Amino acid sequence: MKVLVTLASSHLSLEIASSLSGSHEVRLTDKNEVSTDLEIVRSDLGHGAPTNELVRGMNAIVHSGEIDPAASVSDQLDYQMRCTYNLLWSAAEEGVQRFIYLSSLRLMDGYDPDLAVTERWKPLPTTDVSVLCYHLGEMICREFARENKISVVILRLGEIESEKVAKTAISTSTLYMDDAVLAIEKALGADHSGWLDIYHIQSVVPNARYLTGQPWWSADDVSPSFNLGYEPRARS
Amino acid sequence: MIGEEEMNVLILGANGELGPHVVRALEHRHQLRLTDINDLETQHEYFRADAADLDQVVAAAEGMDVIINLSVLRKDRRLAFDVNARGCYNMMTAAVEHGIRRVVNTGPFYVVAGPTYERFDHMIGPDVPHQPGTYLYALTKSLGQEICRVFTESHDIHVMDLLFYMLLDPETHNVESGSPIANVGHDLVPYTISWRDAAEAIRCALYVEMDKLPSRSEVFFVFPDLPHQKFSSEKARRLLGWEPKDQLDQFWKKAKL
Repeated sequence: MKVLVTLASSHLSLEIASSLSGSHEVRLTDKNEVSTDLEIVRSDLGHGAPTNELVRGMNAIVHSGEIDPAASVSDQLDYQMRCTYNLLWSAAEEGVQRFIYLSSLRLMDGYDPDLAVTERWKPLPTTDVSVLCYHLGEMICREFARENKISVVILRLGEIESEKVAKTAISTSTLYMDDAVLAIEKALGADHSGWLDIYHIQSVVPNARYLTGQPWWSADDVSPSFNLGYEPRARS
Repeated sequence: MIGEEEMNVLILGANGELGPHVVRALEHRHQLRLTDINDLETQHEYFRADAADLDQVVAAAEGMDVIINLSVLRKDRRLAFDVNARGCYNMMTAAVEHGIRRVVNTGPFYVVAGPTYERFDHMIGPDVPHQPGTYLYALTKSLGQEICRVFTESHDIHVMDLLFYMLLDPETHNVESGSPIANVGHDLVPYTISWRDAAEAIRCALYVEMDKLPSRSEVFFVFPDLPHQKFSSEKARRLLGWEPKDQLDQFWKKAKL
């Protein structure tokens, strides 16, 4: 598949792109210059032909909802709302089949950790811009999916950690990088509803906070249930 | 309703189409501070301020009791996100900064009820889950409304979202056949209101006892009692205590031959 990965300046995006490049044709993009061996196209994801050119011929886009911590609050909001809208619009116009939005499980942190929170629960965003941006990005994705302009998969990722972190320090919503990449691989290849599909993604850790691998179901008996097929790696 | 004591009222986007009507409805009882991105000749205090500029909005809100947001941008993508969505973030940040507990936000009905409702349903109320669709104006205003709502979840601020659509002066409205809005005896858009009734609804929102509202974020469809039953404005009457004066029946009743 031809896959565009945004926000190349983030560690997560670079790791994803690097891992996917073994089996896919990957193009990175960022508004700034980023040093990488992979193909990279500088883009501010504006409204216009350059964004269409950026996505033309892609089978899928992996778009990160992370914020640039060095940017102003106004620029963070602008990027996650306007640029996400522009990217989705261009993707729909150019016939990109799948849009994978990397959101965050932090949207669900308002619930008591003892509750069996799944994708069916209402997000509880806060005014912390790093959380709010994920929520607003999901809203924009949702409306494109609702109008069947493009198939959207939202992956709410846990707290990204490397294996090197001491076990006593890890979060109960930890997501190791290899599991994150696995989930994105699944999202690229799995059968989805073709509409809007949301999945919670975290690793196997002690007292894991969020359930994963729950099949999505509809209350009617017509729509088939479907599952991402994500199974985090067992760790000793 | 609380007593009609004098308040310091900030109006963002005061130089738009609705602004002068709202000013007329409030100016005899309140101290008004008007802002807009362009120059405005007015007897009231005026700040030239861009709703998309966080620092300017925070500065404009100092000493205010209420913020009314009439700012709107419909077509240009960058400006629409700047004003309609980020402008709300700036307004709510200003409200937090200055301890302002009452905010009146405005927008079109399709902030809530985009084409997936409008094309299919009737008796659409303001409390359904939002489906603005991808239309730039609707989605950016809906994002702004959601930002306001999220702020009310963690701050003691009440936001009343008053949603309008077609606005007209029933006495001077162009009635020639073919008007997309309203024609005497030939129907009208089933979400139409007079300018003065819209301004009156905003005035009413200044006096609502906020603690008696169901939540700190409430959305209202605001239009007179139209017979189409496409939308419902019952909530605006019930909670805002608003009564429209212009029923616009000359448009939706057949003209007598």
